[in-house]
Amino acid sequence: MASPLEGRTILVTGSGRGIGSEVAKLAGSLGANVIVNDPGVNVDGTGTDDGPAAQIAKEITDAGGNASANFDTVATEEGGENMIKQAVDTYGRIDGVVHVAGILRDRMIFNMTEEEWDDVIAVHLTGYFNVVKPASVLMRQQRFGRIVGFSSSSGLEGNTGQGNYGAAKTGISGASRVLARDLGRYGVTANAIAPGAATRMTATVPDASRALRAQAGIQSAGGQQRETSAVSELRHPKYVAPMVVYLMTDQAWDVNGKVFNVRGGEVSVSHEVESYREFHKAGRWEIAELRDLIPTNLLRGVNNPAPPPADLDLPGRPVDSDG
Amino acid sequence: MGVLDGKVAVVTGSGRGIGRGIALLYATEGAKVIVNDPGVSVDGSGHDEGPAAQVVNEIKESGGEASPNFDSVAELSGGENMIKQAVDTYGRIDIVVNVAGILRDRMVFNMTHQEWDDVIAVHLKGHFNTIKPASVLMRQQRYGRIINFSSVSGLIGNPGQVNYGAAKAGIGGLTRAIARDLGRYGITVNSISPGAATRMTATVPDAARDLRSQAGVTTGGYDGKEVESPFVRRDPEDVAPMAAFLASDDAWNINGQIFYVNGGRVGLAHHPVPEDGVFKAGLWEMAELDDAVHNVLLKGKTNPAPPRDDVEVPGRDVDPMSLT
Repeated sequence: MASPLEGRTILVTGSGRGIGSEVAKLAGSLGANVIVNDPGVNVDGTGTDDGPAAQIAKEITDAGGNASANFDTVATEEGGENMIKQAVDTYGRIDGVVHVAGILRDRMIFNMTEEEWDDVIAVHLTGYFNVVKPASVLMRQQRFGRIVGFSSSSGLEGNTGQGNYGAAKTGISGASRVLARDLGRYGVTANAIAPGAATRMTATVPDASRALRAQAGIQSAGGQQRETSAVSELRHPKYVAPMVVYLMTDQAWDVNGKVFNVRGGEVSVSHEVESYREFHKAGRWEIAELRDLIPTNLLRGVNNPAPPPADLDLPGRPVDSDG
Repeated sequence: MGVLDGKVAVVTGSGRGIGRGIALLYATEGAKVIVNDPGVSVDGSGHDEGPAAQVVNEIKESGGEASPNFDSVAELSGGENMIKQAVDTYGRIDIVVNVAGILRDRMVFNMTHQEWDDVIAVHLKGHFNTIKPASVLMRQQRYGRIINFSSVSGLIGNPGQVNYGAAKAGIGGLTRAIARDLGRYGITVNSISPGAATRMTATVPDAARDLRSQAGVTTGGYDGKEVESPFVRRDPEDVAPMAAFLASDDAWNINGQIFYVNGGRVGLAHHPVPEDGVFKAGLWEMAELDDAVHNVLLKGKTNPAPPRDDVEVPGRDVDPMSLT
């Protein structure tokens, strides 16, 4: 087998299970030295278990690859630094960082606790900073590096009950766009992946709540509802791994600052959040002008993703002449 | 008669800049306004009750109603206090506008943990801290308006702002998610990505902008040079009319959107939905992805910060087929 990652050292956070483990195994099979990080927590972030990371590291080495397990948490500065240090101490360098680690604490915003907010932001978003900061120092010096963060359709398009997760995941795409500009000139790329796969994490969203949301007319971004049994095999997390690993290769040297959607065998680039329709006035707008312009023109064809029910007495809503 | 008659609003960071313009226009349109501003420096240090008190004076002298608040949005208790002050003073809370923000710019490889944490705390957690307590009451009364502030720094990408870009892009995601939590209760949640010349943008030196531009680094913000066009104005008060319209009853069905607003420009941000992609009924090989990425997915797209010519870049001159 070709070894396009021969001599490269790659850290994959949260790689004891799910998508992370598939990325670690594929990178290992293509010649990379892999730091398999996973503290083995539950989906809500509680508990620890060295088993998952050790198991994946063993699978990689049993197959003839190089891997070293790490059990630190990404939620602390020290945890991130330890992972990079372990890469350098064990294999002499760090070439790639893939931040997959994540937890879920779903709750409607009006019921969400401060702890539920903080914990999710800490693992996903600050976790991203905790690993890329120390890695970026070394990558800049060696004029080579690959950074891949994990975003989500939850943040990009919006899911109910995930204000914390949506903020964290979109924050990672924003951080990737900035890193691409901070580091691109030094031969370092930064991209993000919005994955679709059936894992422990998606299994925590009950089908009943999905069905309820759909009945209430709430648009949801998750691919779960769109899946049919005919393609359920393509929900396996192994299908996300090739695109992530491709971004680690030398050939992806000019792929920078992008968000890719990967689910099953489907790979697409995410639309830039640029202005796609706009109006101009040589001066300050009047509120009345905006009222005439925005609902019918600027928002032409754009729906309210969670419209108020018809029986809700709502100021401003035109009264049905038949009613 | 104003479009906000009888409404009660909290506007964070309204002692100066864009927030001040919104507070003043809201009051003119009939809203009772909690003018929040702890009066910190652009980097978040210090405390000065002058700015918020001054804006309240301006509103009262014009015959409006306003009350100053000096709490920090970086604490949940601060956000709760603002909402409580609205209810205690004026009996309800209808509108929350999250403008408060600080900057701690630094290239990622030099950024300290403190600089990351402080910016995430004020911008991203700051949004949660006001929205959480307000959403409880808005849901009960089946009415509310939440207006957040995002930025091109995260939506498009500016160098030296990984903390700010992460927070501001995160606010976009937060907006889309909670628009779905709250829409059915008669509440709308939208974001504005503003452009204006304020204290905050003045902290980015023109020299830094020029350097980035020379290095071929594309950014989402202005290049530091004023464009001589009647359409490109930089007055922070120009952002206020859109914030007032979104808060009005007429905007009852506008939800989960991000608007670019600067001067006389009003734009709707594209949602980051998947563009046309490629599909394979099986696992992709590296060489196949190399072909798909370069010839399909990234066709017509550019690297926002290409490596310098003198950097030896593995892969730059390699035949793509060597992957096979």
